[in-house]
Amino acid sequence: VRCQRYPPLRALQASAALRRVSDEHKKEPLTSSSQQHFDSPPAGHQPEQEPQGPRPSYTGQGGQESEDYESEEQLQHRILTAALEFVPEHGWTAEAIAEGAKTLGLSVAAAGMFHSDGSELILHFVSECNSKLSELLQKEQKLVQLGEVEKKPVDEFLRDAVEARLRMLIPYIEKWPQALSILLLPRNIPSSLNLLTSMIDDIWHYAGDQSTDFNWYTRRAVLTGIYNTTELVMMQDTSPDFEDTWRFLENRVADAMTMGNTASQVQSTGEAVVQGLMGAAVTVSN
Amino acid sequence: PAGGASLRLCSTRVAQEGINKPVIDRIIRVDHAGEYGANRIYAGQMAVLGRSSVGPIIQQMWNQEKDHLKKFNELMVAYRVRPTVLLPFWNVAGFVLGAGSALLGKKGAMACTVAVEESISEHYNNQIRTLIEEDPEKYKELLQVIKQFRDDEQEHHDIGLEHDAEATPAYSVLKTAIQLGCKAAIFLSERI
Repeated sequence: VRCQRYPPLRALQASAALRRVSDEHKKEPLTSSSQQHFDSPPAGHQPEQEPQGPRPSYTGQGGQESEDYESEEQLQHRILTAALEFVPEHGWTAEAIAEGAKTLGLSVAAAGMFHSDGSELILHFVSECNSKLSELLQKEQKLVQLGEVEKKPVDEFLRDAVEARLRMLIPYIEKWPQALSILLLPRNIPSSLNLLTSMIDDIWHYAGDQSTDFNWYTRRAVLTGIYNTTELVMMQDTSPDFEDTWRFLENRVADAMTMGNTASQVQSTGEAVVQGLMGAAVTVSN
Repeated sequence: PAGGASLRLCSTRVAQEGINKPVIDRIIRVDHAGEYGANRIYAGQMAVLGRSSVGPIIQQMWNQEKDHLKKFNELMVAYRVRPTVLLPFWNVAGFVLGAGSALLGKKGAMACTVAVEESISEHYNNQIRTLIEEDPEKYKELLQVIKQFRDDEQEHHDIGLEHDAEATPAYSVLKTAIQLGCKAAIFLSERI
């Protein structure tokens, strides 16, 4: 339903722009330069050439909204998605949101729906990335279930999942440190923590974690540590295609695996000791 | 799920759409903690009274609790529920309670069993009521499991009474104290 309203607007703009250009074409004599002029307007320029006409008619479609109703949340979702392409230029700011609103044919005042520090934009982006990661992991799981792909060992799975998720930051990497600091504002911490924990839980779930004891927490805490430190390393990384970051990630995951083995060894030793003590206590009590 | 904007589909054994996640989460988390604690209590009792005349009976009840725990482990994975963070604490507390009550003698151990099983039966009954109020059809499997376990715990309670639990010195004090502890454990495990 959401997608249906967008193409008609574009078509309107396109036809309006083309109509104007063909008018100009008629006024000028037929020379090669005017041919070029006719060919020149690419899709990207259409919003700028947009006459006042289509905009009122878009909001005029408000009357039709009762037929395919769009909730405020869906509208905000669309605006924020559109705003993302302006983030590399404007950062995580109200300007980016305003630009996004413009591309949808809305007034820049639509950015007033959101906080001035761009919090919602960042949280929206993180949420979208997490959803994408979920879909990816689910698709992979299906392939393994169908037997088309080998099941990866846990360390490789974790590495690939974290790398896939961090790669989604690459187009926005210049402005990401700003986003991280905004996510740490007290107001945003519940939401950002929630998003982080559910992402980490997702990764472990698809990695095949079935622990029902304290390991559940240990594993997630360790992976969260790996993810956060790798993310920070990525901010500082200048190597080609972030290869230093992926090497760092590989080492951290390997460390975690070793730690896991050591921990279980310590535990079995501990258990043996406890057994011995219990035996001694029973003997003494008898 | 993250952001609340998208519906996350899970390809695990239980479909996650349409169930009241917060309620089911709590139910499974606290029941898992309860069975885990019960296991540890019987383990403590066996450690002290394993070689006495009530050893076999405690062992039998313990085996049933082990089955219960196994079932909740499965449900926990199927519904993707987080275990309570207090598990290591219940590990120790359960064992201490079991061993402590057993050190009071066979009757003491039975009194502890009666107190705990009564608490758990009441708790399961509450959950059955909650699930029936929610949607008996949707939660049919879970309801079946909880009903079965409630019956098992009731049986343990009766076995405890048969073995002179009430003859324990300071029976009512002991029972009240243990049941208070159970209530606190249930309250905490549901939330943390």
